[in-house]
Amino acid sequence: MTAPAEIGPASGKARDRSIALVVVGVVLLMPPLVGVSLVDGSIAGVPVPLVYVFVVWVTLIAAAAALARVLRSSDTIDSSESVNDATG
Amino acid sequence: MLSVNTVLAVCLGYVVLLFAVAFIVDRRTRTRRLGWLNSPVVYTLSISIYCTSWTFYGAVGSAARNGLEFVAIYLGPTLVFVGWWWCLRKLVRIGRAHRITSIADLISSRYGKSPSLAVLVTVIALIATTPYIALQLQSLTRSYQVIAGESDGVATAFWIAAGMALFTILFGTRNLDANERHQGVVAAIALEAVVKLLALLAVGVFATWSLADGFADVFADVPPEVVVGAGEVFGARWVVLTFLSATAIICLPRQFQVTVVENIDERHLSTASWLFPLYLFGMTLFIMPIAIVGLKVMPAGANPDLFVLTLPLSAERHELALLAFLGGFSSATSMVIVATIAVSTMLSNHIVMPIALRVLAAGRAVSGDVRALLLVSRRVCIGVILGLGFLYFRLSGGSDALAAIGLIAFVGVAQFLPSLLGGIFWRGGTRTGAACGLLAGFALWAYTLFLPSFGGDVILSPEVLRDGPAGIAALRPQALLGLDGLDPLVHAVVWSVGVNALAFVVVSSLTRPGALERLQATVFVDVYRAAGGAPSSVLVGTAASEDLFLLARRILGDGFARSLFDEMAAAQGRSGGLPDPTDAVIDRLERELSGSIGAASAHALVNRIADRQSLGMTELIDIADESQQMIEAAHEFAEKSAELERTAVQLRAANERLRALDAQKDEFLGQLSHELRTPMTSIRSFSEILMDEEGVPDQERRRFVSIINEESQRLTRLLDELLDISRLEGGSIDLRLEMIGVPEAIGKALDAIAGTTRDAGVTVTADPGRAGLRVESNPDRLRQVLINLLSNAVKYNPAPQPEIRVSVNENGSMVDIDVADNGGGVTHAEAAMIFEKFARGDRSDRSYGVGLGLPISRAIMRAMNGDLTVEFAPDGTSFFRIRMPRADP
Repeated sequence: MTAPAEIGPASGKARDRSIALVVVGVVLLMPPLVGVSLVDGSIAGVPVPLVYVFVVWVTLIAAAAALARVLRSSDTIDSSESVNDATG
Repeated sequence: MLSVNTVLAVCLGYVVLLFAVAFIVDRRTRTRRLGWLNSPVVYTLSISIYCTSWTFYGAVGSAARNGLEFVAIYLGPTLVFVGWWWCLRKLVRIGRAHRITSIADLISSRYGKSPSLAVLVTVIALIATTPYIALQLQSLTRSYQVIAGESDGVATAFWIAAGMALFTILFGTRNLDANERHQGVVAAIALEAVVKLLALLAVGVFATWSLADGFADVFADVPPEVVVGAGEVFGARWVVLTFLSATAIICLPRQFQVTVVENIDERHLSTASWLFPLYLFGMTLFIMPIAIVGLKVMPAGANPDLFVLTLPLSAERHELALLAFLGGFSSATSMVIVATIAVSTMLSNHIVMPIALRVLAAGRAVSGDVRALLLVSRRVCIGVILGLGFLYFRLSGGSDALAAIGLIAFVGVAQFLPSLLGGIFWRGGTRTGAACGLLAGFALWAYTLFLPSFGGDVILSPEVLRDGPAGIAALRPQALLGLDGLDPLVHAVVWSVGVNALAFVVVSSLTRPGALERLQATVFVDVYRAAGGAPSSVLVGTAASEDLFLLARRILGDGFARSLFDEMAAAQGRSGGLPDPTDAVIDRLERELSGSIGAASAHALVNRIADRQSLGMTELIDIADESQQMIEAAHEFAEKSAELERTAVQLRAANERLRALDAQKDEFLGQLSHELRTPMTSIRSFSEILMDEEGVPDQERRRFVSIINEESQRLTRLLDELLDISRLEGGSIDLRLEMIGVPEAIGKALDAIAGTTRDAGVTVTADPGRAGLRVESNPDRLRQVLINLLSNAVKYNPAPQPEIRVSVNENGSMVDIDVADNGGGVTHAEAAMIFEKFARGDRSDRSYGVGLGLPISRAIMRAMNGDLTVEFAPDGTSFFRIRMPRADP
């Protein structure tokens, strides 16, 4: 996707966001930051570390789902080839 | 406990269902009616073979023992899929563009279609996969034993392995699809993915809301160390596990198979980017509750690895236990089937087929039915891999050491990561670098993790594990170079992957890639740039269309080969027959074949037939990297500028000479007009007197007329001399040379000026040389030169008693006549001047003639192959030397 004409400003932004999402995920889930969740106590009866990891996880998934829609429309996949391959 | 018959019946029914699904989908694929099967959901579900029985049963065990740590195994893949745009998309694009059949194919193809690299990757994959398959067999056997009561574990494992081999052979090698895709298998494992997710969710819901009263009740009174584990949960091991799982989702042969090879539409990846993490999320959501409830409910000492099965059984929920069993069965079988397909493809394409092709096709032509051979080899490989897995299970005796094999396999395949990522993002990676990295990483993995995992039973003895080989503590497998105190897994990853990456980068930067490597590097790294991802053609050669068609038919099958060639012929504008074997056709064929037998084999096969060998010069320049072009350009530039420098110097010199000649010409014209003016002035003034004045006496008149006459003669002589010198110098005068005697010539010249010398009182001493000495010269011209020199010596000699000496010297093939006088000669500065036209020595006055005598004399001598020079005697006096070629030896 080197031809600039094929890239709208919105999708370029989306790609920046997709890399930012991975970075945010790594930072939130890796030490030292993930260590802040190591506190006694629970939220709705579930221990905090468990809640923290699963909430960050599901948030990442939701953000990825939102981004996938934008990225997919920005990608110029030769759909005719895909159809050929799918049937051949 | 359920009755064996019930369990067997349900299992059999489930297997029949899987076979039916695979069969129906395969048939629909053939008739090209895929419908909903061609959906991103099916693709995503097929990727979920990541969750093997190791997840299904083992995750609960891990959670019961180490708390939250197990989650890291699912966070890595989540991060990779969330960032799909940067890595997975490129892998899939490359895989589709180059018809990649396996991870070994990708790495070998990237590094110049290297067969040896493919073999290396295949061997590593095989060694890492076999124990993993054994682990699945073990968990299947154990779960069967739990649900159906104790029975012969080995026999159970054997029949399970045999059943999976049958399924894999039936649907994994049903057709040699050009893209190595198996829609039937994909559909079956997608169904299995749904079953295992539902089973785990059902058990989770049962444990949470039936055995306990919701999440709050599950976690009530649970000490924190049960949740977060005894040690530091978010430490080095957490990071390494995340890294390993992220690596495994790319590098595991089976994951590569479903994610890259089986991908039928690149856009499916965007859906999988969030749907697959969501699937993992669903799989892990209830792991912790099941583990904790199991710890609470089950009797102490119960194996937590089987809680998923034993919890429903202990509560007499047989239908749920059966579902859980089917979930575990699905997890194990789907993994084994895909892993077997993936590794057998590698084994067959990169090890068996190259050997078979070499044996069968010793000559140029390919003999035998390669297609059938390929199918047989693929099937044998499947049998061999499952057999190895079974053998491994049998030999390890179902020991607990197997449980750790999941992570060990992860570290094993993580050795592919540097070459893989380096290959698709870095043009500088070379084959040697990749081979060095892989070998080093593989060796360190085996030494620090794989062999120690047997606890001292295989190759490495317990003593070696404890003290190092031969007691060298620095070489202890689990504390290499004294790197102590690390978790063995962390230790092994740091060493093997670290050294692997380092070796890859360092060796790559030290070695030069070959032409094909560079080309492949470019088309892989810049895969988005190429139109349609098709690699550009660089090989040249000739091929017979018939041979190519024959080859295609043997490997791709008659129908597909025919339609492929018809299509290519149509693209060339032909209505029938075979297409011309252009480079495009050959490349297309190579790509189609590589979809069946791998890039390295296809490359070797097609090139053998097409007789393509070398890259042309222009193509080589095309793929030469920028720095090389820069070097060339700079070199050229330097050469050009040096050339310019030289030209400039020459031009400057020429310019100088032109300036000097111009100045000389100006001076000459000035002198000439001066010389012409003197006689003209006297002619004009005397003729004016004669014209205007009447009373000029006769005597005066006669004197005047004689002066006019004299001056006219002088003018004529001057003009004659000018004409003479210009003709001599221009070479347009032809001097007839003859043999003349030197003494005679000198005598004649002396006779001619005898009157002059007598009048001037000059003593002439002549040594005319030996009689018979002859030179090649023109007698008149030589005399002219001699007389000129002699009369100069008479005229410009200020000495009170003037003398002239003439001598002859023989000098090899030349003869010199020296003319000297006692007038002091000329200075060195004058010597350079006197041969210039109109120049005269200081002693000269303007009483006679112009300064053309010496220039003419020199021009004459040079025209006669001789010379006239000024020489200096040792005492500093100068004399003239006439040099001529002698006529006889």
